Amino acid sequence: MGIGPSTKETTLHHFRDPLLDVVSDDKDIDLVGIAVLGTPQDNKEKYFVGGRVAQWAEALRADGVIISVDGWGNSHVDYANTIKEIGERNIPVVGLSFIGTQANFVVDNRYMDTIVDFNKSEEGIETEIVGENNVNNIDSRKALAFLKLKMNRE
Amino acid sequence: MCKEDILRKLTIKCFHIKEVEFGNKSNINDGKLILNKDSFKELSNEEDVIDEIKIHIIKPRDHDRYVNSIMDFIPISTKVLGKIGQGITHTLTGVYVMLTGADTDGKQMAEFGSSEGILNDKVSFGKSGTPSKDDYIIHCDVTLKSGLEFNRNLSLTIHRLCDNFIQDIRNILKSKDGRNADEKHEYYDRLRHGKKKVLIVKQIAGQGMMYDNQLFPNEPSGFTGGRSIIDLGNAPVIISPNEYRDGAIRAMT
Repeated sequence: MGIGPSTKETTLHHFRDPLLDVVSDDKDIDLVGIAVLGTPQDNKEKYFVGGRVAQWAEALRADGVIISVDGWGNSHVDYANTIKEIGERNIPVVGLSFIGTQANFVVDNRYMDTIVDFNKSEEGIETEIVGENNVNNIDSRKALAFLKLKMNRE
Repeated sequence: MCKEDILRKLTIKCFHIKEVEFGNKSNINDGKLILNKDSFKELSNEEDVIDEIKIHIIKPRDHDRYVNSIMDFIPISTKVLGKIGQGITHTLTGVYVMLTGADTDGKQMAEFGSSEGILNDKVSFGKSGTPSKDDYIIHCDVTLKSGLEFNRNLSLTIHRLCDNFIQDIRNILKSKDGRNADEKHEYYDRLRHGKKKVLIVKQIAGQGMMYDNQLFPNEPSGFTGGRSIIDLGNAPVIISPNEYRDGAIRAMT
């Protein structure tokens, strides 16, 4: 499992990324940057890159992290681990992922209590329709609102 | 009021396209994009794995047509001044490139589900990552020779050829006078002192064929000159907001 046609983010999506727009436009937020990390095949590598990005968040003295993923299934192994690594550093973290009815997390942990599901299909599945199950403006605003709550609770 | 420091500015100037057609010489003039009907024929001969590359101009709402699996939607943008994330970028609106791929036997260039079928049914139009129904689509349809093993190299070849095709349009767009742009958007990388510091993390594909992303290509949303996230060991790379919105990522999923 990995990235299907309806969840993949096209080059055009990255160019007009709604999550970036929402976070960078919020005057109460100091957006320090976007960390892009890959999804390796090998489990050892998955844990390595996840640990590195969490260390980046700590090094940047981030007050909070929003993490999104455009794949599911096997990609959720990386995703869950990275969220755990960030959470264990006491940095509030909110996630965005396709879940629906088809992509329940294969692994999870206590830091995954605020995940915004950006499934848009009625059946909750990978519909193979390009652009259907992608992050939009509302998903992004929800994620940022959750993060603000979590950051203020700290 | 919190104190703000501006780190750098990116200006994106949009040229709106109202009509696309084939002609003898590629050109952009008065909202009309003309594609040289011969230029892309050479593309097919560049690589021996390619059977044929066809370019179709799909008019707005003309979506009742069969297409092979959609590999990507790509904006047509070019740097005019500075590097990715700062300076000036020109981009076309009203027209986007759609890349599709299959081999002569109909085997689709896809791994985890594919999107071949009637275009109308296979695209959720008007999203961040897809054209609107009223946009033109330049359809770059790549047909591979029969019997090839689908591997990472094959996927990279298709993206490279498509990028070469787009570069011809970029070179014309680059020379357009920015004062004639239809829209101008200014973006700032800034420090908002005293506000909550937030890091966005994007987990992207990096497993291999059809699970790849190219970072920091020479041109916005391009391919050539970029580095694959796989070749970077999938390790995190920090991108500034302006670099990100200036096309620092080319999806190859």
